[in-house]
Amino acid sequence: MDISLFIQMMIAALAATVAYTILGVVPGTDETAVIAPVTLALILAGIQPVVVLTFYMAAIIAHKLTDSVPVAVAGIPGGVMATPMVEHAVVLKKHGQSETSIKKMISGSVIGTLVSLPVSLLLAGALIPFAGFIDDYANEVLFAGTVVLALLSANRWLSFLVIVPFALLIQGLRFLYWELGIVPEGKNVFISFFLGITIGPVIVTFIDLLNKEKRKQLVRNGPAEITIKKLKKEKGFPNPFVILSKRELGMSSIASLIGTVTFMLSAVGVTTLVGELFSKREKDPVKRSSLAISCMEALANATYIAGTLVPLIALGYPLSSVALGPANPLFHAPPVLTLENNLHHILSFSDFIWAVCIGVFISLAITYFLTVKYANEICRFVFKRIPHEAILGLFSGLVLLLAYMDAGWLNIAGVFLISLVSGTLSRSGVNFGVQFMILYSAPWLVSILAGM
Amino acid sequence: MEKLNMDRKSGWEKRDGDFVEVWEDVVSIKDLLFSLAVTSVVTLGAYFIAPDEPPKPLFFGLGGAITGFTISSVFIKPKRKLHD
Repeated sequence: MDISLFIQMMIAALAATVAYTILGVVPGTDETAVIAPVTLALILAGIQPVVVLTFYMAAIIAHKLTDSVPVAVAGIPGGVMATPMVEHAVVLKKHGQSETSIKKMISGSVIGTLVSLPVSLLLAGALIPFAGFIDDYANEVLFAGTVVLALLSANRWLSFLVIVPFALLIQGLRFLYWELGIVPEGKNVFISFFLGITIGPVIVTFIDLLNKEKRKQLVRNGPAEITIKKLKKEKGFPNPFVILSKRELGMSSIASLIGTVTFMLSAVGVTTLVGELFSKREKDPVKRSSLAISCMEALANATYIAGTLVPLIALGYPLSSVALGPANPLFHAPPVLTLENNLHHILSFSDFIWAVCIGVFISLAITYFLTVKYANEICRFVFKRIPHEAILGLFSGLVLLLAYMDAGWLNIAGVFLISLVSGTLSRSGVNFGVQFMILYSAPWLVSILAGM
Repeated sequence: MEKLNMDRKSGWEKRDGDFVEVWEDVVSIKDLLFSLAVTSVVTLGAYFIAPDEPPKPLFFGLGGAITGFTISSVFIKPKRKLHD
């Protein structure tokens, strides 16, 4: 590892930590929508893969940790992943224990990281023998994954039904672009369709605003009312192993282990399920909530780390819900990365270790320090200075740019069309994972069906 | 622009009906249109004025997106009311 690369990795980790500490606090930001486009842009811009991986790891840790901060400070979730924690944070707040929420959360994420890093690496090692099989049957495996994810979806029958129609929409646009000569034949437009799916729910809400009846339901009489609880300032550095009770420590370690092993499943789903299951037997409400919060945070971190690293190191195919979501560009960002030539193929095992360690530990150390010391100030800054309109503008701008770069002006309409369909489907319970899987399987699936 | 600045001084109260909930937070439709327009124009504008040697256009575009974000953050007041 030469010095200049090492410095680049440190800078990437610092930049990601600062950016996603702020973005994490912003209410409503979904980790796929805010992390995937930026990672993608860095890869396309020619940044070294090992540096991008460092950036990504730091981003995901900072985003995950700080999206729970507003839960403790104001009782509103900073993102989708923090939603299951709100109920428990509210219980703690009612008992005047908001400081406890924050401390339990960050301690939980430290445990999640410490458990899941080594276990993910071991698990990846154990799965390497299967990589050859997946290489030989990649299309079949991706398609089987689509069907399994569809059946695990909130609206399983609709998810199953839309596999072929959605694949047709994607292939339809690709063939049209080839026919019109705006994209060289055989080149699959991917990036902008991927982003179209991530921004789908927002686009559908924009469309609702154009409809008089629907707009009425979205109108609010005034600004969002947020009550900030003043937290006591922490002196010195709290040690996560002291903050957590023995029971919380044990349970959150087991939760992290489960989160790592079930790396293929949806992070939100596993977090809710295991967190609730583990805390159900505790009778005292305060103890139950603090147990639930530390387990959930540990588990969420573990699922993210394992969901990225296991498929990336062992397989090279995005076969987990995290790999299909925020980590997707690490697997497939044509023309730089493809399923035949992505981080799995480019990086050595020691590259992985370096990138992951630098990314994770810098991010964890800084966010740990910031959230313990300045949780109030960060929330106040974000709530007062970062307008939601600017965030929506930023991501719409990124999608527009990449849509144009992929296939010119016409593709802006194409991506809009994909967003409309995808957002409507998301709203009806077809999750992102299924839609991304269809995006991957579409060329194979449509050619097979056409040949039948 | 003048309109936005005026509202910045007078606060939220006079703009009822313009507030809607998008992506789990409250935004004003006017400010949202302003932000979308500014960010799109600056992003694509920066992309087109970039020298035609990859990856410069992409870098310019990204810089444009961040500039658009900054401009929007300066001129738009977040629709959140904080209580202690």
